Amino acid sequence: MSEQPIIFNYAPFLIESGKIKEFAKALQLNNPVYLDEEVAKSAGYRGIPAPPTFTTVIDFWNDRSFYQLFSDFLKLNPNNVLHGEQAYEYYKAMMVGDTISAQVRLKDQFCKKGKNFFLLETVYKNQWNETVAIGRATIIEMLEVNS
Amino acid sequence: MIELPTIIKNPIAPIDLVKYSGASGDFNEIHTVPAVAQDQGLTGIIVHGMFVMGWAAAAIEEWFPNRQLKSFSVRFQAVTHTETVLVITGNLLAGNEGEILVEDREGHPKLVGTFVLQKKNL
Repeated sequence: MSEQPIIFNYAPFLIESGKIKEFAKALQLNNPVYLDEEVAKSAGYRGIPAPPTFTTVIDFWNDRSFYQLFSDFLKLNPNNVLHGEQAYEYYKAMMVGDTISAQVRLKDQFCKKGKNFFLLETVYKNQWNETVAIGRATIIEMLEVNS
Repeated sequence: MIELPTIIKNPIAPIDLVKYSGASGDFNEIHTVPAVAQDQGLTGIIVHGMFVMGWAAAAIEEWFPNRQLKSFSVRFQAVTHTETVLVITGNLLAGNEGEILVEDREGHPKLVGTFVLQKKNL
């Protein structure tokens, strides 16, 4: 790896209830806390919470997104990669109304068995600069796929 | 070790991937456009890895409605094609630690993962 770390900032992302509802419905989540503010508040949340994998929306539905990260920084075709591994650590709830700023860092990059691997770590912070989650992804450049 | 109740999902339809693409913003066309998937050497469109992880996270929520994830780590084992029926199984190993497996009905693993639970952090 080069000495200069590759760091990329996603644009700050405002979490809106409609986006959570759309995401929850797309995943067929039937937990009403994701759909109804009253249910969320009576369950003790300060608002509708984001589902655990909602971080994906912050990465992709963003003015500076995963696509720029891949094409401009990693010089990879974002449609030419596979997701090998994903891990999350959760520190604080992410809610409707929060603005999440995410920073991704290329932690490692190597070639194994003819495939290029990229290890990415993304730190998600809320509007109070509290770390809400950390994501770690292993992305594999897909030169040829055997399905 | 406590075996958690098996969850059997409905077959994944192409429209499910269209919806998930729109909702997540992951517009990689290998998930929605058969010709693009075939150009990549696949036999057809494949399910987003994060869709499968999203279902796995939902299974953990269903198993533990009064707790939430502290950490969740998965490895994607194989691509999943549409019409696949995913079967989710898991075990609670110690107080807050568990493992999860998502496979097709023929027993081919798609995702293996481990998770740690915490009390609800509202």
